[in-house]
Amino acid sequence: MDKIAFLITRPEHDEATYYLSNWSESSIKLAELKGINVIDLHLNKANSKEVESRLNKLSPGFVVFNGHGDENTIFGHKDEPLITLGKNEKLLASKIVYSISCSSAKNLGPESVKAGAINYTGYDKDFFLVFEPEKFSRPLEDKTAKLFLSPSVLFVDSIIKGNKIKEAFDKSKNLMKDNFRLSLSVDTDSSRFLWWNIQNFKSHGDVEPSISHI
Amino acid sequence: MKEKFENKEIEEELKEIVIARLNTISPDKKISIGSVGNFRKEELIERIKKNDEIGKKIVELELAFLRAQKEGLVYNG
Repeated sequence: MDKIAFLITRPEHDEATYYLSNWSESSIKLAELKGINVIDLHLNKANSKEVESRLNKLSPGFVVFNGHGDENTIFGHKDEPLITLGKNEKLLASKIVYSISCSSAKNLGPESVKAGAINYTGYDKDFFLVFEPEKFSRPLEDKTAKLFLSPSVLFVDSIIKGNKIKEAFDKSKNLMKDNFRLSLSVDTDSSRFLWWNIQNFKSHGDVEPSISHI
Repeated sequence: MKEKFENKEIEEELKEIVIARLNTISPDKKISIGSVGNFRKEELIERIKKNDEIGKKIVELELAFLRAQKEGLVYNG
């Protein structure tokens, strides 16, 4: 049996992408421990040429996009478009896709599923991240950012561990709610933004498969 | 004409409420809104006053959150 492959993009050209990239490192380590072939497109490797080539040649079953987005596009390093609706969403066929980016679950998500993606999970409006600039050099110690990013890490880790998409989605959403409730007592600055992210976290396509079914 | 004036007045009042709420955010925090950028609360307040796209997004978010609180949706998940 072929080794399962997991592709992740980690641009780092601004504060938000730097946080997303750093918070993804533990998932990469977990995948390696699980014997999964990790394709880590970090920094300037998060470009359209690399993404298209790796998706075509290695056909990873699980794809995670960290970065910016809009309703029709996922962007990579320095906001280069990686996947654009009407251009190359077919590259996501037969894949479980998770995109932590603004709005891409609005149009690109459902259209990718129509083009053959197994599932596309992400956000259908803006994704908000609140952070403490003084923690910028140690993003994993930023307790404010943790409220926003730990559910994302949980989703990815759950898929890597072989959970069904539905289980991963429910676990992640429950942690978002727990973090929201926690914020009401420890960080009310973040509450409104956490609540917004919960409302806009969406999953399109089949939610029954896990990576072991691919 | 009168209705239009009243709507404008309500809109301005809502903006003032949103600004007052944003003012409670710690000056030590930054808010990242996707590819649009990262903002401190003062910058968001300026955007609301200018009524630009960022300002409108923040007003939409804050009013949706207030509405959900009023309807009891926030605490019931």
